[in-house]
Amino acid sequence: MLIYRGLSRISRISKKTSFGRRWLPSHPLLSGASHSAAAAAADSSVKVLGCREAYSWSLPALHGIRHQIHHQSSSVIEEQLDPFSLVADELSILAKRLRSMVVAEVPKLASAAEYFFKMGVEGKRFRPTVLLLMATALNVRVPEPLHDGVEDALATELRTRQQCIAEITEMIHVASLLHDDVLDDADTRRGIGSLNFVMGNKLAVLAGDFLLSRACVALASLKNTEVVTLLATVVEHLVTGETMQMTTSSDQRCSMDYYMQKTYYKTASLISNSCKAIALLAGQTAEVAILAFDYGKNLGLAYQLIDDVLDFTGTSASLGKGSLSDIQHGIITAPILFAMEEFPQLRTVVEQGFEDSSNVDIALEYLGKSRGIQKTRELAVKHANLAAAAIDCLPENNDEDVRKSRRALLDLTHRVITRNK
Amino acid sequence: MLIYRGLSRISRISKKTSFGRRWLPSHPLLSGASHSAAAAAADSSVKVLGCREAYSWSLPALHGIRHQIHHQSSSVIELDPFSLVADELSILAKRLRSMVVAEVPKLASAAEYFFKMGVEGKRFRPTVLLLMATALNVRVPEPLHDGVEDALATELRTRQQCIAEITEMIHVASLLHDDVLDDADTRRGIGSLNFVMGNKLAVLAGDFLLSRACVALASLKNTEVVTLLATVVEHLVTGETMQMTTSSDQRCSMDYYMQKTYYKTASLISNSCKAIALLAGQTAEVAILAFDYGKNLGLAYQLIDDVLDFTGTSASLGKGSLSDIQHGIITAPILFAMEEFPQLRTVVEQGFEDSSNVDIALEYLGKSRGIQKTRELAVKHANLAAAAIDCLPENNDEDVRKSRRALLDLTHRVITRNK
Repeated sequence: MLIYRGLSRISRISKKTSFGRRWLPSHPLLSGASHSAAAAAADSSVKVLGCREAYSWSLPALHGIRHQIHHQSSSVIEEQLDPFSLVADELSILAKRLRSMVVAEVPKLASAAEYFFKMGVEGKRFRPTVLLLMATALNVRVPEPLHDGVEDALATELRTRQQCIAEITEMIHVASLLHDDVLDDADTRRGIGSLNFVMGNKLAVLAGDFLLSRACVALASLKNTEVVTLLATVVEHLVTGETMQMTTSSDQRCSMDYYMQKTYYKTASLISNSCKAIALLAGQTAEVAILAFDYGKNLGLAYQLIDDVLDFTGTSASLGKGSLSDIQHGIITAPILFAMEEFPQLRTVVEQGFEDSSNVDIALEYLGKSRGIQKTRELAVKHANLAAAAIDCLPENNDEDVRKSRRALLDLTHRVITRNK
Repeated sequence: MLIYRGLSRISRISKKTSFGRRWLPSHPLLSGASHSAAAAAADSSVKVLGCREAYSWSLPALHGIRHQIHHQSSSVIELDPFSLVADELSILAKRLRSMVVAEVPKLASAAEYFFKMGVEGKRFRPTVLLLMATALNVRVPEPLHDGVEDALATELRTRQQCIAEITEMIHVASLLHDDVLDDADTRRGIGSLNFVMGNKLAVLAGDFLLSRACVALASLKNTEVVTLLATVVEHLVTGETMQMTTSSDQRCSMDYYMQKTYYKTASLISNSCKAIALLAGQTAEVAILAFDYGKNLGLAYQLIDDVLDFTGTSASLGKGSLSDIQHGIITAPILFAMEEFPQLRTVVEQGFEDSSNVDIALEYLGKSRGIQKTRELAVKHANLAAAAIDCLPENNDEDVRKSRRALLDLTHRVITRNK
């Protein structure tokens, strides 16, 4: 359904431009056949053109070339783009600064700080990468160069402030993990609380609070009220999303709308609002800020949807090889929700709950018969395309660094779809 | 020791001014004899004059009169600090309730819990802040159009009320994070889902309050205020962590204890008082005075809290809830007693899970001057708080004077309360 809409939109637009963008109507993802994720990667270049304004068409030729490069591994001048390596140096500076920002007076908090950074290593520091790339992608160069010194100083100061957003985002993210996951441990351990155990939990809560307070101080130092509001709202969304997950009624658990709303709060809000903050700090227009927001939001949603799939499939395309941790915790995600649309009787199983592992097997069976996995991937592709479209709508810019970063951001929209772990 | 220092300071200053401030060298609190708290109230008017500058001497006569009023229950209106701001407080409570309405019903029902907690202590913090706001009122000397002046004044007041609301949210968030997890500790049972969800919900609810506080802070568009109150959250965390993770030496150190007490109790009031002053556009000096008031008031409050945990509503030892010592929290009275009786330290290091150790400690405490010294220290801090008010720039507005008197009255009430 979604791709058909996409196809019709493409045909509408191709009347407007002569634009050589590749797309594959017989995309393996659409056929429902099982396939290896790696093969899908090569072909995941379906793009929906949904710009709010037909801003820039200067990239299409490059897109075409890049896709060919991506497939042919030729020795063309343009390198294989690794978004993470573009910002790797900057990231380690940020990591050092973050470490010093969370040095605490009290040793126990300081040792908890180490825990912070183990967690940060996960996911290749995905969020800060996105934010630093976005910062470069939105770089507004002064048209007539001022004294080099002044321009450089201003640029450096802006960059520092944007890096600060990345640091704040990490602190908020880790704080929420500390608050959510450690208490889940309490849940699963299900034993009598020894003092260390309880102190571990309490210390985790305190450490999370500590990070939040440092994030607030850092936010205040940016002296930008809108940015403070954006990121404070993120904390509220994280809380709301986690609460939504904990306290669903039966109807809500089976509702795709409720699920997407919760997913936005829990996963996408942080990236979307911090992307927007990056844009605001850069002095961009409200329109551009919204584009940055849209990129972050759709990237985050796509990321989570694929996460849902991988929880079932793991590194293979087969069902049931993933960790299955969502369903075992009674968390109903998109694949199951889609499957329930096709097989209403699955809902009865869902309502019984999944403490009984035989119910897990039954659910997996329905899931395998349904197009739940495929529909989830399609939805993820849709969101990834929306993210890419937002980048395409950014104001034209001839600076090479800007273009590189924008390509990297586009590349990320592919990677979130094609990753298999 | 402390009062002697105070007395010498008074004699130094009384050479400078003819100032009829009452003080009682034979103060019952200093003599170590047990006494009823009510009688002490009438006499708790020892004041140390420690102003940074000799700003205003216009209040002393009033002080004298007020003390007489306080004692004689005459038909002059008694000053009740809480009633001065009661109406405003209920407006704040309504607004606070609407500020924490949450999309998710579970969070919303946790909100009710917030306000039960807020009722405790007669909403002490917001009272202090609203009184401080009036006490620092800066009137425009030549009145502008009444409309403009009123609008500006109203807007300022709203912003200061916002500080009071934010302070409550931060306070309750920290309680949720601290106390509910302590319940987890004491219940010590297998976690049922409700039980764990209760705890997790408490953590989430605390986070929710903190995020609302951040949004409200941001709306004030004052970076220094945001920094001040964010620092408070950090202090609350640090103080609680200090309490949880003390080494043996630290637990027996008065300095460590006072630092922890500042973080856990006084930082919130001191920094929010300072924020009130900054919003009012006051000078840095006045902001520091407001800070000092809050800090010393908070410390005095906590020290008396420590005493009451031992004495309860009577002056006798052991009638209080004894919850501090039973949780292994060593407070000022025990710390003072340890100075007199080093052998008490051994008992302390053994810990208090054995209730016979509690009895031993109480015995030492009773023999020592621990309770009395703690009260003396509290009086010292209360006096410092009062001195800060006295140093505020002179102001002839009646509301301002009333509020300042009320703030002074609070410095007495924190000392003389018995629950």
